[in-house]
Amino acid sequence: MIKYLLRRTLGWLLMIVVATNLTYFLAWGFLNPRNNFVGRRPPLSEEQIVNLLEPRNLSDTVPIWERWWTWLSSILFHWDWGVSPTGGSINEQISYRMWVSAELVLGATIIMTVLGIALGVYTASRQYKLADRIGQGTSIITMNINPIVAGLALVLLAIAFNDLVGTRVFYVTGAASKGVEGFFPVLLDKLQHITLPTIALVITGYAGTHFLQRSLLLDNINADYVRTARAKGLTKQQAIRKHALRTSLIPVATQVAFSIPGIFTGAILTESIFAWNGMGKYFIETITKSDINGVVAVAAFSAVMVAIGAVLSDIIVVVLDPRVRVS
Amino acid sequence: MSEMIDPTVTAPADPAIGETESGRPIPKRVLYTRRFMRNKPAVGGIVIFVLLVLFAIIAPLIAKYDHIELDFLNLGTGPSAEHWFGTTSAGNDTFAQVAVGLQRSLMIAVSVSLGTTILSAVIGTAAAYFGGLTEKISLLIIHFMMVIPSFLILSLLSNKSGGDWRVIALIMIFVTGWFFPARVVWTTALSLREREYIHAARYMGVGGFKIVLRHLIPNIGSLLVINFTLGIVGAVMAETGLSFIGFGVKIPDVSLGSLIGEGANTITSAPWLFYYPAAALTLLTVSMALVADGLRDALDPTSAAGGRA
Repeated sequence: MIKYLLRRTLGWLLMIVVATNLTYFLAWGFLNPRNNFVGRRPPLSEEQIVNLLEPRNLSDTVPIWERWWTWLSSILFHWDWGVSPTGGSINEQISYRMWVSAELVLGATIIMTVLGIALGVYTASRQYKLADRIGQGTSIITMNINPIVAGLALVLLAIAFNDLVGTRVFYVTGAASKGVEGFFPVLLDKLQHITLPTIALVITGYAGTHFLQRSLLLDNINADYVRTARAKGLTKQQAIRKHALRTSLIPVATQVAFSIPGIFTGAILTESIFAWNGMGKYFIETITKSDINGVVAVAAFSAVMVAIGAVLSDIIVVVLDPRVRVS
Repeated sequence: MSEMIDPTVTAPADPAIGETESGRPIPKRVLYTRRFMRNKPAVGGIVIFVLLVLFAIIAPLIAKYDHIELDFLNLGTGPSAEHWFGTTSAGNDTFAQVAVGLQRSLMIAVSVSLGTTILSAVIGTAAAYFGGLTEKISLLIIHFMMVIPSFLILSLLSNKSGGDWRVIALIMIFVTGWFFPARVVWTTALSLREREYIHAARYMGVGGFKIVLRHLIPNIGSLLVINFTLGIVGAVMAETGLSFIGFGVKIPDVSLGSLIGEGANTITSAPWLFYYPAAALTLLTVSMALVADGLRDALDPTSAAGGRA
C-alpha cells in the first residue's frame, strides 16, 4: 500500500517537473521582460537594458538553453526561483501570497465538499420528492452562475447589508485590516474579510459534488448489498450511511481532488474582485508585467496543488476501498 | 439487443422505442422530442436561449446607437428612454454593447464547443479503437493536459493574440476543454470496441479510421450532443474569465466578460453597467445547462426521469 502511494507520488512529481519546464519555454515564447524597460522616460539604451536584465537571467541575448540551465540549477541547488524584471525576489512573493490564497481555497474546498456530500445524501434518499426537486433546481442554477457574477453580486449585497445595519460587518476589499492586535480581534477581522470570497467560491462550486454524490448514491441504494443490510434489520438511514455511502464516496473523493485546479482558477477571479493579494492576483500581475520567473513559479505552484489533490484522493481511496488496500 | 432472451421471463419492453396506438413504432426523432418536451425546465432553457440569440442578432439592428459610438450628452447616465440600459462614463450605449458582447460571447462559445467536441470525439475514439501505442500516447497527453495549469497557458497565449476573438477561440479549443470530454469519450468507446458490428466491419476490411469515423463516433452521438451543450457553458465561463482579467477580447471589441470587468470598477456608482451584462451571462449559462440536462434525460434510454417512452 505504501509502495503504491509512493509510486503515485513519484509519478506526479515527474509530471510537475515536466510541466514547469514546459511552462518556462512557453513563457519565453510569449513574454519578453524587455517590455518593462522599452517605454521608459528617459529612454534606456540597448546596452543599459541588457545590463539590467542579464544579471537577473532575463535577457534574451543569452541563448535559451543557457538561461534555462541557470534557472533550473538555481532552483535545484539553492531553491531560488529567480527574480522579477524589476529585481524583486520570487521566493518572497510566493511564500507570502501562498498562505493568503491557501486560506481562501482550502476553506472553500472543505466547505463545498462537505456541503455537496451532505446535500447529495439528503436529496438521494428523497429522490423525486419536493426536497430533491428544490435541491436539484437550486444547484443547477448556482453551478452555472459565473464566479465573477456571484462575487460582484455578493459585493453589492454586502454593501447594502452594511448600510442597513449601519456598521461595517463585511469588508469587500483586502484580506486583512492593518493595525489589528490580539487573538480575538484578528480572528474577527479575518472572518469579516474571508466570509464573502469564501461564499462566492462555495456557491458556484458545491453543486458539482452534490450532483455526483446524488447520482452515485442512487446507483448504490438499489444494490443487492444495501438490500441485504436492510434485510438484516438496519434502518434505511443506517444502511445508507454505513454501506451505500462508503462505496459512493470513492469517485467523489477523486472528483474533489481534480476540481482543485478549477477552484484555483475561480480564486484568480475571486481574488481580483475582492482585492486579495494572493496567488491569483499575482498570476495576473506576472503576465501583464512579463515576469517570466513569476509566471513559471505560479505554474509550478498550481501543478503542485493538482498533485497534492491527486495524492490526497489516492490516500482517501486507499482508506475507503478495501480492494486497493489488500492488493 | 445482443443478449439472448430468456423464454421464462417476459422480455422487458425496450424503453427507447415506444409504440403508437396503431402499433407502429415512433420515429426516434419524434420520441426524443417528446421526451425532451416533457422536461419543463429544459423547455424553458431552450426558450430563453433562443430569445437570447434573437436578442443578439436583432438588438444591434434596432439600437439607436452603435456600440463604439459615443454620446457626449449622456456620460454615465442610468437607463432612460434614450439609452435603454444606460451609458458608460465614456458615453457608450450599454444596450448596444450588451447585444454585441452577447453576440461575441456566443460566437466564441459555439465555435469553441464545436471544435472541442470534434477533437475530443476523434482523439477519444481513436485511442479506444486502435489501442496499444496510440492509446498510451493519447492518454499520456490527456493526463498531462490535466496537470498543467491550462488557464495560465490560455492567458499567456491569448494575451499575445491582440484580442482577436477568432484567435482566442482557436487557442481555447486546443488548450482547454478538449481533454476532459476526450477521456469520457475514451471510456465510453472502450465498451463499443468489442461490439459485433465493429468486428464485422473490421473483418470486411474496412480501414481503421473509417471504422472510427463511420461506426464508433455515430454510436456515441448522444454523448457528443450533451458534451457540445455543456461545452458551450464551459467556453462561455472561460472566455468571460479571460476577458474579465483583461487577457481576452480587447477594446474596441466587447464581450460579456470585458463588459462585466468594466462594470466591476463602478459597481456602486453605476451598477447598471454590471446588471445587464451579468443578467445576459447568467441567463445564457443557466439556460444552456438546463438544455443539457433535458437532453441527457431525453437521449438516455435507461433514464426514468423523462417518463414513459
